[in-house]
Amino acid sequence: MSTAILELRKSTKKYAGVPAIEDVDFTLIKGEIHAIVGENGAGKSTLTKIMAGVVALTSGEMLIEGKPVNPRTPNEARELGVAMVFQENSLVPSMTVAQNLFLGQEKYFNRLRGIYIAAQQFLQSLNFDVAPTATVSLLGAAKKQMVEIARAVLHNAKVIIFDEPTASLTPEEKKYFFDLVIELKKRGVSIIFISHALEEALFIADRITVLRDGKHVVTDDAAKFDRARVVQAMVGRDLSQTLYGQRKTTVRPAGKRVLSVQNLRMASMVKNNSLSVFAGQITGVFGLVGAGRTETFKVVAGVIKRDFFHGGEVLLHDKPVRYLVPAPAIRDGIAYITEERKLEGFFETMSISRNIYMGLLAKLRGKRKLVSNREASSVGEKWIKALNIRAISGDAKAVELSGGNQQKVVIAKSLVQEPDLLIFDEPTRGVDVGAITEIHRLINDLADSGKAVVVISSYLPEVMALSDRLLVCRQGKVVEEFSALEATEEKIMYAAIH
Amino acid sequence: MRKQRVTQQAIVFAIFVVLFAIFALFLPGFFSAPNMLALLQNVAFLGILGLGMALVVISRGIDISMIAALAVPPGLVLQMVQNGYGPTISVVAAFALVIVFGLVNGWLVAYAEVPSLFTTLASGLFLAGLGQVAFFQLDVVQWPAALDGLGWFGRGGILGVPMPVVMFGIAAAIVALFLRQTRIGAYIYALGDNPFGARTTGIPTRPIILLQYVLAALIAAFAGFVMAASINSMPTRVFNSTMIYDVILVVVLGGIGLSGGRGGVPNVIIGTLLIGTMLNGMTILDFSYSAQNLVKGVVLLVAILADSFLNPRNEETAQQGDI
Repeated sequence: MSTAILELRKSTKKYAGVPAIEDVDFTLIKGEIHAIVGENGAGKSTLTKIMAGVVALTSGEMLIEGKPVNPRTPNEARELGVAMVFQENSLVPSMTVAQNLFLGQEKYFNRLRGIYIAAQQFLQSLNFDVAPTATVSLLGAAKKQMVEIARAVLHNAKVIIFDEPTASLTPEEKKYFFDLVIELKKRGVSIIFISHALEEALFIADRITVLRDGKHVVTDDAAKFDRARVVQAMVGRDLSQTLYGQRKTTVRPAGKRVLSVQNLRMASMVKNNSLSVFAGQITGVFGLVGAGRTETFKVVAGVIKRDFFHGGEVLLHDKPVRYLVPAPAIRDGIAYITEERKLEGFFETMSISRNIYMGLLAKLRGKRKLVSNREASSVGEKWIKALNIRAISGDAKAVELSGGNQQKVVIAKSLVQEPDLLIFDEPTRGVDVGAITEIHRLINDLADSGKAVVVISSYLPEVMALSDRLLVCRQGKVVEEFSALEATEEKIMYAAIH
Repeated sequence: MRKQRVTQQAIVFAIFVVLFAIFALFLPGFFSAPNMLALLQNVAFLGILGLGMALVVISRGIDISMIAALAVPPGLVLQMVQNGYGPTISVVAAFALVIVFGLVNGWLVAYAEVPSLFTTLASGLFLAGLGQVAFFQLDVVQWPAALDGLGWFGRGGILGVPMPVVMFGIAAAIVALFLRQTRIGAYIYALGDNPFGARTTGIPTRPIILLQYVLAALIAAFAGFVMAASINSMPTRVFNSTMIYDVILVVVLGGIGLSGGRGGVPNVIIGTLLIGTMLNGMTILDFSYSAQNLVKGVVLLVAILADSFLNPRNEETAQQGDI
């Protein structure tokens, strides 16, 4: 059991001279489940991408079964027996399961019947409950992942790397996934998995490696870890004391009703959703992936156009509103701060100041016919100071900033529009711990100053730490409401799962 | 990012200087006053068109129909005046045609969400066909004497600078002011940088796209009118030429990334100078029309290749590595 199948020695990877990982030693033993944990930016993804041939080492060496190797593409890595299952899955949605399994290995005359039979036998041998003739786009997240795993096994993978495998799974699917992983282990496959969910790592892994700031901190048997020790190793200090440690003891009273959603329906994602949001407090919205939280609030903010044939009412300050685009919603004081920062958050070619100024221009519209660089830099400076954005100057490009600072730029761009209702969608996703504290303080300050604040989050401790009122969504609507004082993790989870 | 862009501009400018110096030294007749005037005059139209194209390309679009908009509305003015209509009514009619054309283009791209390449390919073909079927009696519409009151648009010059060049300068100044100093200009950059981001920020994205295509059509028609005045006629067959490639060449070579949000009027000017010098040099060298096309094709390919290296289109690859 103690032979190493994959080894990294003194491995360093630099992006533009900045080390993402530095002098990391890593050993994967044959047939073990090895969890890699660490904060965002600790180097977990980089480490696994090196093993999977997605990126190349800057220095150091990699050995598979004792032989030095240097895979330069994912294909080469796969030939060496290392397969990676990515966060975003790499299946072709319009093809069937069987076609996906044999993708790239088709015979010259590709007979569907043949591959269906082969796929059927293969899936049965793995005990995977997926129909080979099913179209992938119609499968749920868990089944898609199953197909990915099956494909890796089919390619004779000796090492399978999972990047956040459970992020998009429901609790039952997670349990099923763990069974699969254990099954793979029995077949002698070595497994590496990256996870943010510590309980999972502690539960399933044989060994755990903790990375911090691109450096190896500790590797040890999972049995010798507990949650506190892992967290301690991840952040180098006792996180539970600082961030999510203390429970909320006071709750802000509800002010005027700002937003009321009644029986909102939207395609298959939002089903008869009703909720209210009040001024001067934080309304937390928790739900598992697919609960329709984001969609509901995107409809409110006009980011998703509301379907005319599916009804429901959105009342802002007790007046019905229906936005086709975000611009009028912003004029009416609604700010939606996106979870997709890179995709629809900031402008990457523009400076910090300019990004924030664009928010102002969009709000002022006809009142600013001409742009003023002086106004841009003074607005920028004001918000850089207010939100403590760390950059050399306001002229630094937004794309050059860290995740936390980018998020602050996106927030500033909305705050400059002076909204009454702020919707934060996953405000701390991909944000470093220091910035998380600052963003949380900012959200609290906004509520204290009388704004209506909505925080959508999939991270239970975050919702619990912030919310005065807590809404739990399940399958497209709000199913339960708690005051922060009565909410417990168990109650919330119980409501969120069926 | 910034450093990269400056070098790109600087490189193109350096190529222009080198090419110009080589031609001036080794090509007899290149650096003569008449040739310099001819060079400037020829590239002026290209430059004006480049300004319109830049407006569209900055927010990730492209307008292939500009040559049709260059040929048909000014041709319509000339034809109508020839046929005895008053200059005012003719200009108003052509103006209306341009606006409607731009609105249709913009509507198709912004609201019907047809890719701009296909939209303008089809609409340009339609407009050119419409001109030939319904408006023009001859392929070359002569400048009628009754319109000589507007001849100053392309004839003569100011302080020895030919009028088309002056017009290019004026248009460049206006477009530069529009892009850099007005709110709408800032919106256009935002839209090109991140269309989804622009939308969630509350920028009225679709009206801005509509406006861009109207402006591009107006600028093209303006170029056409200056051209007609300058050469005393409107050769409506220009639509069938390779001119649109020259315009794209000007914009891409100048350093306005096809991925949007980058570049501005200075890039158009640099691109125009380089292309103008290249075309003029090749003409003096007596390159055949086909050989010129070959050279232009190669240069355009290289420019687009360089552009996709320097300004990768994919949002993710443009970001910092996902560590």
